[in-house]
Amino acid sequence: MASDKPSWGMQGTWEQTLSYVGKVVGVSQGADAVDASSVRRWLEPKEFACPLYTDEQVAIDAGYDGKIAPSTMAITYGQPTHWQAGDKRFEHGDEPIQIPIPVIFEVPAPFSLSFATSMEMEFFKPLYHGDEVTITHELVSLVEKELRVGKGAFFKQKDTYRNQNDEIVAIGILDIFRFNPVSKGDS
Amino acid sequence: MTDNTNQTIDWSLQKTMQDITVGEELSPIYIDITLQRLVMEAAANRDLSLIHHDASMAKATGANDAYANTFFLYGMIERLALEWGGLKTFIRKIGPLRMLSFNCTGDKLAFHGKVSEIIINEDTVILDVWVDNSGKVSATSQVKVILPK
Repeated sequence: MASDKPSWGMQGTWEQTLSYVGKVVGVSQGADAVDASSVRRWLEPKEFACPLYTDEQVAIDAGYDGKIAPSTMAITYGQPTHWQAGDKRFEHGDEPIQIPIPVIFEVPAPFSLSFATSMEMEFFKPLYHGDEVTITHELVSLVEKELRVGKGAFFKQKDTYRNQNDEIVAIGILDIFRFNPVSKGDS
Repeated sequence: MTDNTNQTIDWSLQKTMQDITVGEELSPIYIDITLQRLVMEAAANRDLSLIHHDASMAKATGANDAYANTFFLYGMIERLALEWGGLKTFIRKIGPLRMLSFNCTGDKLAFHGKVSEIIINEDTVILDVWVDNSGKVSATSQVKVILPK
């Protein structure tokens, strides 16, 4: 029977965790190129109507080479496929699909839960329709810490977003606290 | 006071470095977190984690209900900055975005911003942005934008 809580990443010793610092811990190949349909579906729930994303001439007049996508959509375009031919069927009880945050899901650690505390992104080049995005994920640092929720460590993940020409589109820094929750008997 | 009408933006307007003053406030954006919006958002941004559209799973992690994800906040902050500055506003950096509390189904959010710093020789403006969730700040961020001279 499936747990009623989501899975929170690979388990391992702290020594194993330390061995990942400074290393690439995952590469995400975006499933699709930037296109009008995915841009529109992303804009709708935000009620965001900006002609840079829909009108070629407006984008050119604003100094771009053509229609662009919102800069923050780099995160979306770096997401890999969730299913492809040959994969198993989705079934009741499966682990839920998670976004690729390799420092949570692929770096072994002696912690059972996690949450993100902070994120920052710098943007260097626009995303044009037709662009394809790949993300390289690195574990930059670990800082042990005890918070109110429990003992654990801050994991800093650096994500470098590149387009199909190997140009850096954006760099993101994500801080995640992985920890063991304080048990009810603890003071 | 909130405004539930869909504001029409005049995209012919463009801020320049000459127009900006420290302390200037951006027009706020009001948006309600409905379950349908979260489902639309998850499908569009491809973060399918159940905590963002399944109440029972969200509650298992300590939230009161399904809640908006980081990508949604990022996108709304981009909207806030662009609608304020105009089409020639290049967003150079967003963050650090600090998530202080959940933004759950049923919550009413307002995205606010104000000019906190002007760096003339870099054509750069720093905005302080915060998300008001019914009187409580649920997230804060800085945004660095580049404007025309």
